[in-house]
Amino acid sequence: MIKNYFLRHAQVFFFTLGQLWRTPVATTLTVAVIGITLALPAGLYVALENVQRLAHGWEDNGQISLFLKQELSDPAIEKLSAKIRKLPAVSWVDFVSREAALAEFKKLSGFGEALGSLDRNPLPPVLVVHPHAKHANPEALQALLKDLRAYSEVELAQLDLEWVRRLYAMLDLARQGVLILTAGLAMAVLLIIGNTIRLAVLNRRDEIEIIKLIGGTNAFIRRPFLYAGAVQGLLGAILAWLLVGIGLLILSGPVHRLASLYGSLFVVENMGFLATLALIGTGGLLGWLGSRLAVGRHLRVIEPR
Amino acid sequence: MIEFTHVFKRYPGGFDALRDINLRVEAGEMAFITGHSGAGKSTLLRLITAIDRPTRGEAAVNGKNLTKLPRRRIPYFRREIGVVFQDHKLLLDRTVYDNVALPLIVTGAAQNEIPRRVRAALELVGLLDKERMYPLTLSGGEQQRVGIARAVVNKPPLLLADEPTGNLDSKLSDEILDLFIDFHHHGVTVLIATHDLHLIDRARQRVIELNHGELVRDSGAGT
Repeated sequence: MIKNYFLRHAQVFFFTLGQLWRTPVATTLTVAVIGITLALPAGLYVALENVQRLAHGWEDNGQISLFLKQELSDPAIEKLSAKIRKLPAVSWVDFVSREAALAEFKKLSGFGEALGSLDRNPLPPVLVVHPHAKHANPEALQALLKDLRAYSEVELAQLDLEWVRRLYAMLDLARQGVLILTAGLAMAVLLIIGNTIRLAVLNRRDEIEIIKLIGGTNAFIRRPFLYAGAVQGLLGAILAWLLVGIGLLILSGPVHRLASLYGSLFVVENMGFLATLALIGTGGLLGWLGSRLAVGRHLRVIEPR
Repeated sequence: MIEFTHVFKRYPGGFDALRDINLRVEAGEMAFITGHSGAGKSTLLRLITAIDRPTRGEAAVNGKNLTKLPRRRIPYFRREIGVVFQDHKLLLDRTVYDNVALPLIVTGAAQNEIPRRVRAALELVGLLDKERMYPLTLSGGEQQRVGIARAVVNKPPLLLADEPTGNLDSKLSDEILDLFIDFHHHGVTVLIATHDLHLIDRARQRVIELNHGELVRDSGAGT
């Protein structure tokens, strides 16, 4: 009995595939429209994920740079460093000597020649203060910053996190935007599928009428249309995934070049396994739902004459 | 099998298609419904197949009260009735075999049963060798016989036919009639709406005559 049930569903499924195959133009158009519609939010999602991943590296830089006075001697710096290390909010302190700072600057800035011609090192010694993770919230960091500024050895204390926080706020906004856009485009997919299925129902009006006359239930009549909707939704989602993949492939070269100019090894990543699954699942579900809504409405209208 | 008491059917617009019909057809009986065009033959069949509902009165078919039958039960109710249409209503994009198999698929018959039962039905109407063909490649009489095979493949206890010989010449009509008489002899209740008097004369069965929506003659159970 159960076996029979699955066999029947499989038959309807393959029958539906056959019908979609026999109307290649209509099927291709529907799948293409759904694919492009879904590719838009999916692409934006991937872009956001990448930007966030990029920003994540910066968030850990919840660190405070202390630019010390030029004339400070090494033992004095050592003493200050030990003092700061003992503060409860501080995890560890790195010391960048004037020589190390100069070497790094020469390497990264490309001004090596010009710096070499200077008769003395213009860079100050720097202490990089890493706060404890639990003190990484804005208020605690602000308090710590104030404490550090109070030391007379410190020329300048800089917490450069404000822009990261702004970026995060922007990302949040963008994420909400993508969500709203996704909801709107999901509605569009419902309407596209609904319209396709509406035409399919009207095309097969005679058949539906006959099936009703020989005792076919609405569920039986609906089944092939639901499969058709779900299959086209699935194919559309797969197409969207491919479109996003192709887009990333085209962008990955330029992004890599740009990133290397900033000395970063950042590479764009495609959506993960779960996100892919969610995209394809959403496509299928939307197809099914759109078809369900359309068929339900039009089946009632078609009664035997 | 069929019991109508004081049945009225009024269509929107005020047209009275049936007026005060009292009718009783026993299980296993064969009867003809006759009358001029628009006399109410088709309306009567539409009520029996639950396409329309009576405006007034009580109608019961196969033990089901048609005025109270819930919509979702209608498909199951219709599975007990085989219907033959004047225009046969075959699916032109499917083979003879697939057309006849349709009621079995709709009712979810066991897969391994379907070929046997389809061929039994096709053999009954003498079209076993045409199962791979498409309806449009068949003659009118053959198409009608495919329609009959489809109507009986589920072995329904009640068989309805709406002008089954309407488009056929007299020789083909006789062949079709013989099929219906054969089903009748196998215990199927057969109800045929027709204005083909030749057919009625030849069958020598009960005749129910409608005129402007009223039952004007019922010859009673035939011989």
